[in-house]
Amino acid sequence: MFTRKRAAIVATIAAAAITLAGCSGSDSEETTAPTTGAATSDGAMAAPEGTLTLGTLVPVTTFEAANAAWANESPYMQAVYDTILRADPDGTIVAGLATDWSWDDTNTVLTMTLRDDVVFTDGNPVDADAAAQSILRFQGGTSPQASSLRFVEDATAVDAQTLQITLSAPDPALTTMLTQNAGMVESPAAFDSADIATNPVGSGPYTFNAEESVVGDSYVFDVKADYWKPEDQYYEKIVMKVFSDATAMLNAIQSGQINGAKLADNTTIPQIEGAGWDIVSGELNWAGLLLTDRDGALTPALGDVRVRQAINYALDRDGLLQAAAAGYGTVTEQIFPTFSTSFDESLDATYTYDVEKAKQLMADAGYADGFDLTIPYTPAFGATIFPIVEQQLGEIGITVELDEIAVTDYISGILGQKYSAAFMQLQQDPSDWQIAQFQIVAAAAWNPFNIEDPKVEELAGVLQTGTPEEAEAAGKELNAYLVDQAWNAPLYRNQSTFVTDANTDAQFQVVNAYPYLWTIKPTN
Amino acid sequence: MIRFIITRLLNGVVLLFAVATIAFFLLYWGAGDIARQILGASASQETVDLKAEQLGLNEPVFSRYGEWLSNAIHGDLGASWFTNQPVTEAITSRMGVTLSIVIGTVILTAIVATILGVSAARYGGWRDRTLQVVSILGLAIPGFLIAIFLVRIFAIELGWLNATGYIDFTDSFTGWLKSVTLPIIALSIGAMAAVAQQVRGAVKDAMRQDWVRTLRSRGISENRVVYKHVLRNASGPALAILALQFVGLLGGAVIVEKVFAIPGIGQISVTATTQGDLPIVMGIVVFTAALVVVINLSIDLLLGFVNPKVRLS
Repeated sequence: MFTRKRAAIVATIAAAAITLAGCSGSDSEETTAPTTGAATSDGAMAAPEGTLTLGTLVPVTTFEAANAAWANESPYMQAVYDTILRADPDGTIVAGLATDWSWDDTNTVLTMTLRDDVVFTDGNPVDADAAAQSILRFQGGTSPQASSLRFVEDATAVDAQTLQITLSAPDPALTTMLTQNAGMVESPAAFDSADIATNPVGSGPYTFNAEESVVGDSYVFDVKADYWKPEDQYYEKIVMKVFSDATAMLNAIQSGQINGAKLADNTTIPQIEGAGWDIVSGELNWAGLLLTDRDGALTPALGDVRVRQAINYALDRDGLLQAAAAGYGTVTEQIFPTFSTSFDESLDATYTYDVEKAKQLMADAGYADGFDLTIPYTPAFGATIFPIVEQQLGEIGITVELDEIAVTDYISGILGQKYSAAFMQLQQDPSDWQIAQFQIVAAAAWNPFNIEDPKVEELAGVLQTGTPEEAEAAGKELNAYLVDQAWNAPLYRNQSTFVTDANTDAQFQVVNAYPYLWTIKPTN
Repeated sequence: MIRFIITRLLNGVVLLFAVATIAFFLLYWGAGDIARQILGASASQETVDLKAEQLGLNEPVFSRYGEWLSNAIHGDLGASWFTNQPVTEAITSRMGVTLSIVIGTVILTAIVATILGVSAARYGGWRDRTLQVVSILGLAIPGFLIAIFLVRIFAIELGWLNATGYIDFTDSFTGWLKSVTLPIIALSIGAMAAVAQQVRGAVKDAMRQDWVRTLRSRGISENRVVYKHVLRNASGPALAILALQFVGLLGGAVIVEKVFAIPGIGQISVTATTQGDLPIVMGIVVFTAALVVVINLSIDLLLGFVNPKVRLS
């Protein structure tokens, strides 16, 4: 019997469900991205409107410019800071706070003219002195990119609008670095404030709304009035929501809670495309086996180039890309990116998968019976790559021992000369000079055994000091040399993926993990 | 009673100190290269060394423990190594989120489990058999699977509830309800199964007692016998298991908060532990241990309140 009391209970539950379903208004999490841009079709400026909600992978480490990170943290920084220079999506350097800039004849003095109409959120003007102080603080700070300013000898304000940076040696990457965190200008009045890490004082297009933000989870930014570049302000509010779980991000995408997101996991791409979202992708890192012990200090066999070449022949790159990255990426045998003038597509056919040839090279080198090789293992790179590498190297007689270590010890283990070889993903820097400085020359961090090769050092020197034509030729020669010498065993370049909903556009930023904030805008 | 409470609280303080000390040394001895972990692969060794120095990572572990303990006694648990947020702020701002979900789960569990358990014990038959089957399913299916299924139906397909995120009830009650309903249901299923079984067993046992027969022989209605006398008598075991569930739910919230991207203690626990954010992990250890002490004490007092036979004084 369906009693009156039961009927009342059912009715109450139904009413509650209807109430919930019908809830709308201020509590709604529906995103409200506008469908028109900041610049209207007739060229007039439209007021910023709506909320842009972005999915990010990491929270803000610090808002203090001197210690700030970039890459996945760049959207937070670009919301609140201006940089001295800017970069277009293809990496071309364009004006930022500096309207023009020039090098002296020795390429060691950079003189820049700054805008005179920019102010910090504390009301102080953005001038050459603030820029100079910010540069010097960044150089002495703990940003992951602090060493990118290692050639900076001094930064001074010639006058209120003229900034001069003096280098100890030419640095072809400096202007690029000034488009990133090294070029962020922070108000000197805030340098000593107690909350500088959580309360940014910059001049960017948005201001940080600490009250509505939850540190580590969601960061809210409000549009700044009277910004000097209003055409970059498309939204009244930007919310950046951190997703530590790929399933949660997928759910947020499919339910329309966010407008754009950087994916941690490319395997969700089919479902995201199925939801009608667009894919904006590029390649940021190369992944492969670092053969760091090229002088054979720990593993003598690796001192023989034929053994290193054998390793390159023994690895089935297509299979590894499929297994480890679900096919999202491109196989490669070189560490230079496709946008580099040093890139040579023909080099990617140097070590076509050939186990017999690999065995022959091992025999020629006197290692027909193989040798033992210990490589570090961490589940952070997924469960598939390591056993496959172990199995494929095993086919040519190399007995791989996987040494499982904590993810927090993985990098320091490699850089601490504990391993002769290691699987790693390394960034593809914007310039060949940076790549050489980061991974190749004797002093490079990712040349942990500090192995010095005269030819490499000479070519890297040309990259630093040569004319553009000389540098281009040196880069090509260097790349070919590294591949020939089997410096490493690159496997593939990973696809980095950003996704946008139907109302949002974005452009992939070459060499950056996240699209630059001003390229994320409403669909026309 | 007062003496009992004071004794239990003092025991709690000793427990808290022991847990914090053990956790500190376990964490710091197995921490790895935290400065490198914070700065990543692109940082130079000089920058990594500078960061380690700033964080005090080069100091001997006993010296760091002494400093941590001294600051903790004064209410300063330090700041996150990864976000610079003060630990106390990070935890208190998230504790409310987690507690609102866990308390909601406990309330829902208590109501539904009581209805199911009493119904199964009192009427038997198909109700009892159904409870047995549903309980096994509820205990067997992991909460995160239920969560994913619920999100698919109610958030993505129907759009009734939020797939991710949390809205504070002080901002919007309906928004809060939409953001916590699915996590609470996902967390409740397993707890309901366990508590309903406990209620069923306790009620069945009580109903076989002589005093129940006596009550019935006095002409007292069956509803009154069950809901006033039997249920009160059976509430002890049920409350005990509910208390255990409460503590367990704090752990269960880890997965649910991750799946629903809810900024609670569970989510930050996973992130901080994975990263090696030791100040945050230590803060969570201290807060959670304190919470468990308080919950257990509260349950003891509650048991005494509802059932005079176990009254503690």
